Amino acid sequence: MWHFWSSPLRRTAIRRVISICQAQLPNIKVNETPKPFGDIWTANIAAVAAGSGMPDVIVEDRPQLVQRAADQIDTDLSEYAQRDGIEGSMFWPFTWTEATVEGKPYGIPFETDVRVLYWNKQAFKEVGLDPEQPPKTWDDLWAYADKLDKKNDDGSYARVAFNPDFGNAGWNVWGRTNGAEYLKDGKLAVNDPKVVETMDWIKKWYDRYGGYDKVQEFRGTFGAPPNDAFMSGKVAMILDINGYSSVLNFYNPRVTVPKADGSTEQQPLDVGVGDPPYSASYGKPASTSGGFALSIPKGSPNADAAWEFIKCATGPDGATSWSRDTSAMSANITAAKDPALMGDPRWQFFLKAMDYSHGADIVPNYPNWTTEIDQRREAIFKGEKTAKDALDEAQQAIDAQVGP
Amino acid sequence: MSIAVERPKAAQPRPFLRPATKEALTGWLFASPWIIGFLIFTAAPMLFSLYTSFANYNITTPPRWIGLRNYQVLFQDPFFYKSLANTFWMVMVKTPIVVVVSIALALLLAMEVPGGPFFRTIFYLPNVLAGVAAVFLWKWILASDGLLNRALEAIGIQGPGWFTDPSWTKPALVVMGMWWIGGNVLIYLAGLKGVPKELYEAGSLDGAVGWSKFRHITLPLLSPTIFFQVVTGIIGTFQIFTTAFILAQTGGNTDPFFANQSLMFYVLYLYYRAFGKIGPAGFQMGYASALAWVLFVIIMVFTLFQLWLSKRWVYYETEGR
Repeated sequence: MWHFWSSPLRRTAIRRVISICQAQLPNIKVNETPKPFGDIWTANIAAVAAGSGMPDVIVEDRPQLVQRAADQIDTDLSEYAQRDGIEGSMFWPFTWTEATVEGKPYGIPFETDVRVLYWNKQAFKEVGLDPEQPPKTWDDLWAYADKLDKKNDDGSYARVAFNPDFGNAGWNVWGRTNGAEYLKDGKLAVNDPKVVETMDWIKKWYDRYGGYDKVQEFRGTFGAPPNDAFMSGKVAMILDINGYSSVLNFYNPRVTVPKADGSTEQQPLDVGVGDPPYSASYGKPASTSGGFALSIPKGSPNADAAWEFIKCATGPDGATSWSRDTSAMSANITAAKDPALMGDPRWQFFLKAMDYSHGADIVPNYPNWTTEIDQRREAIFKGEKTAKDALDEAQQAIDAQVGP
Repeated sequence: MSIAVERPKAAQPRPFLRPATKEALTGWLFASPWIIGFLIFTAAPMLFSLYTSFANYNITTPPRWIGLRNYQVLFQDPFFYKSLANTFWMVMVKTPIVVVVSIALALLLAMEVPGGPFFRTIFYLPNVLAGVAAVFLWKWILASDGLLNRALEAIGIQGPGWFTDPSWTKPALVVMGMWWIGGNVLIYLAGLKGVPKELYEAGSLDGAVGWSKFRHITLPLLSPTIFFQVVTGIIGTFQIFTTAFILAQTGGNTDPFFANQSLMFYVLYLYYRAFGKIGPAGFQMGYASALAWVLFVIIMVFTLFQLWLSKRWVYYETEGR
């Protein structure tokens, strides 16, 4: 099996999954090999093309599966799934949709995630905000920011309240919180007014903090955990995936908090978890989810054994263990509602957030459609082009690619 | 006048091969490892890529012939022009700077001062370090609050966001490139040592000093070396990849549009297309091959132009002028 979970926390977690399945499948021996995230799929495709050296099981990025199926990289698992009664209803609906092509699964969903708001309760207290009341709407966010922004003597920012592009977030999820549907009746509409509004809204945040370049400079001072934007205290509110919760637990960062008598004291960072703020016109929270599936590369000599392992790893036993270790949302619904996980109040919140979360919009003849927006976002946020013009351009490029 | 060679009378056993043939064969045999390697690992893939440049090819299914489609699309592809412009910028700016700086360094190192070999080693040392590791190092040096900007701050200059401000990313790469000119310096140094001392002595007798010695003796005699360096330097810069590829990565993820596409160089774009990070769907090896062949032609034209130009400024001692 090839995966890319090489951090100590995740490597141990996948080993535990293997160990559990190994006990259930005494006739199978599972070896795991971590590969760099940037290379794993290229290496697999090269191996499949060469006809040898491919793993028996590979972790695939679900939205890519439609392409893997078209390129004949991965095996159609429908026969196995039908034989053993593995079906879509066992998984979060969008994870199954992403993993199937024309009704045939090319991977079994393993894990997913959901983007939620994390906020720094101490920073809220410091400026007189109720630490239990996160901002509900885009307008709340803006008003909260007026209080939470903090400048140094030289005019630079000691703390910014928020930026839609920080954390694990971008136009995609914020568009959802504005009610944008990128795919309408099977047709992409990236220049929809809702998307234009969202881009303008993100630009407003860049402008608030001195423009795109200034924000990039500020972003350049973020490090890896525990010196990232949020744990370092440089950003008070951030949108990130539920797995960030386990990173917070792991580092348990400390913050310096001023006391009434003028002195300061060190406290563990107190974090709140809430819904992503939404626009007034949409009026309810929304989020997005990504995640991975387990697939069998074409030509794998041990496909039958690989299937047995996939069934176990994506089933309640394997998936629950994975979620306990990593805080990643299990794609398997039974596993996601395992009592051992429900004991964590944050987990209960993540489950609730799954209800309003969206998977990827998969367009079989243009899986890379998001790059048409990505390549224009900087021009929009810098004010070189209006959001409307840039998105019209993106829409034209997409139409040229997929045809009318 | 012809010389009649008398054949030996006694009949010797005729060798199996004539000596000339044998010599030729031995030569080919000795060269064969390279020739076989070249044919299998260079010529064959090149021919294959020429073929795939006229095809749709995603590695797993056989190439499908589409004639000139790839080339037609390519010349209407905004990223083709964008990446070409970025690459041209590097070629035009970096090449002359590298020439001037490395000649200057070579002149300094050529001076007979104590510790010369030590400095030569020091300047060459960065070339020993693996490229990827060095890029990470520079990422740190050129960070917004990195070493260089802190040093600039100490003398009252507000340094730019080297890798965040798109107008500074390419200059940052040029600055980084200066670190690797040890190899160039060594070659210039060898060129300098090859200038005959008599010429300087003769020059001194004619009253030449400092700059005029450099201008009229050193530079002309160094011109073949400069020519070689300019040609190989330009070819190398056209193929720039590693530095930009690593800079565009955050946590193992590559952002193809990093810094407003200011570092999207030609070969990097080729890679993004080949491995399906940009463009319609899946691996686009055919399109990438077309890109590669267009680059081949561009580099060829540049090199031929250099060769033509070289007649006007490169001085070979054997020619006389």
